[in-house]
Amino acid sequence: MKTFAIQGRCLAAPPDWRERLAAMLGAKPRRIGNWAELGLYGALCCLADAGETALPPDALLMLGSRRGTYVPTGQVLDQMRDDLPMPLMFLQTQPSQLLALLAARMHWRGHAAFIAGGSPQALLELAAVQSGSAGALLGWVDEMDGGSTQWLRLKPCEVGGNEWKPAAAEALFMPDITHLRTAGNILDNTD
Amino acid sequence: MKPIHLAGRGLACSLGLGVEQALTTLRRGGAQASRVTLPGAMAGDYPFHAMPHGQTDWNERARDLVQRVSAEAGAQQIRDGVLLIATSSFDIGAVERGATQMDYQAFADKIAAWLDWTGPVHVVNTACTSSLNALLSAQALLRRGAAADVLILGVELDNRLTLGGFAALQLLSRTASQPFGALRDGLVLGEAVAALRLSTRDAALWRLAGGANVVDGEQPTGASVRAVNEMCVRALADAGATPDGIDLIKVQAAGSPGNDAVEAQGLRAAFTTVPPLVSLKTLIGHTMGASGAAEIALLTGCLEQDIWPAYGYEQDKELGVALAPVIPQRVRRFMATILGFGGSHASVILERGA
Repeated sequence: MKTFAIQGRCLAAPPDWRERLAAMLGAKPRRIGNWAELGLYGALCCLADAGETALPPDALLMLGSRRGTYVPTGQVLDQMRDDLPMPLMFLQTQPSQLLALLAARMHWRGHAAFIAGGSPQALLELAAVQSGSAGALLGWVDEMDGGSTQWLRLKPCEVGGNEWKPAAAEALFMPDITHLRTAGNILDNTD
Repeated sequence: MKPIHLAGRGLACSLGLGVEQALTTLRRGGAQASRVTLPGAMAGDYPFHAMPHGQTDWNERARDLVQRVSAEAGAQQIRDGVLLIATSSFDIGAVERGATQMDYQAFADKIAAWLDWTGPVHVVNTACTSSLNALLSAQALLRRGAAADVLILGVELDNRLTLGGFAALQLLSRTASQPFGALRDGLVLGEAVAALRLSTRDAALWRLAGGANVVDGEQPTGASVRAVNEMCVRALADAGATPDGIDLIKVQAAGSPGNDAVEAQGLRAAFTTVPPLVSLKTLIGHTMGASGAAEIALLTGCLEQDIWPAYGYEQDKELGVALAPVIPQRVRRFMATILGFGGSHASVILERGA
């Protein structure tokens, strides 16, 4: 069982997230695809919320998604009927490209992985066993239904007391949750 | 900390269906790659290591291979354990044939149903390093006592998207893969299903000692010298090993002009004396997300039965490293590395038990 304090979060992308991302990057991102842009925006916002510009070298970056890069994959399959795909479009089908983009943006080298499908809770369970003292940056990104980009900057901590509550799955990304404990329990400090 | 044993392994690749059949084919000199034709003016004919399996229905073929390979690894003993599926292409071959829809969760559910799996299932996708990252996740679960048994299942099956994408990026050879070769001109892809059963309960000959994955955004489609070096340093530290304690390195070396040179430079930075090296990609092709598991299954078999690949081409002397022409005399501990898209550099260290 592991306990994390939530040091920063991004729970949704505002309507003007593309403009905000361009402002953060200093230029509009090019040819990385909508899903990766959405992920980049959320991760950078989350880090800023945690007061960080980069992850420590020993931190873990874990990214998950229900549908990931379905849109560019469908486009590449269409292109493949008659010809080879466009190279940059093929790269957009690879979810791990977002990990590289984030690493490059943070000037960071470390352990990062993409987990396809499942749930944010399952992702948290994997992050809990794999992360060390520098904690983890946990993201869940989907571009369907207008797009969602949810990120948490988690740092391990010791919390006493008995205020832990069993949590519903969707509670992971609730704004009033301050701590998480794996094994399906969440500490809610707002009570 | 309980030792993590490689309690079972299974493999289907171009050398055969099953580890023993693959080793038998190797003893007889290996298997020729087949050829695949891709559409378009810039495309054409490419070698490809296809599996000797005649079923034409994609899902039926995948089910048979997954069940066969998992059974070979002893998966039926641990159906309530953790299943980590490692893939870069999911079931995109079935999507291309109109036999299914793109759906990560449906893919995971389908494989779990084929195996009557009752435990947790995760799908790891970090391109070519997927299997090794699954191994690192498994190691963490086992070290922390969150699981006692884990099955890593690498699945990379025939599809045109991967071949077409690599062709479009001009990464493929039109002739043959020549890892660290003087005339290397690109990769040859292959398909494989491979299973590694890890356990803290069942003792076995090989143990997973540690490993590391380092993502570096410097080169999103290739390797970087500093990340190869850092990967080696971190993997050694995690395994509690020193550079001179590594008896063999199974390198990524897929025959890429650029990436092979970067890997060689990174190894020279990490090791004062680079240990003997082996590449298995001339034998089975680059099997992408399954490659880590497939190559470990094959290599452990080779080491146990004194089988060694023959490289019938000239090595590139300018790299400053070379593949070992004969099997090293005593391999107690080896490092297995895969480098991939997404700037991912992953390596694990396995050691032979007493």
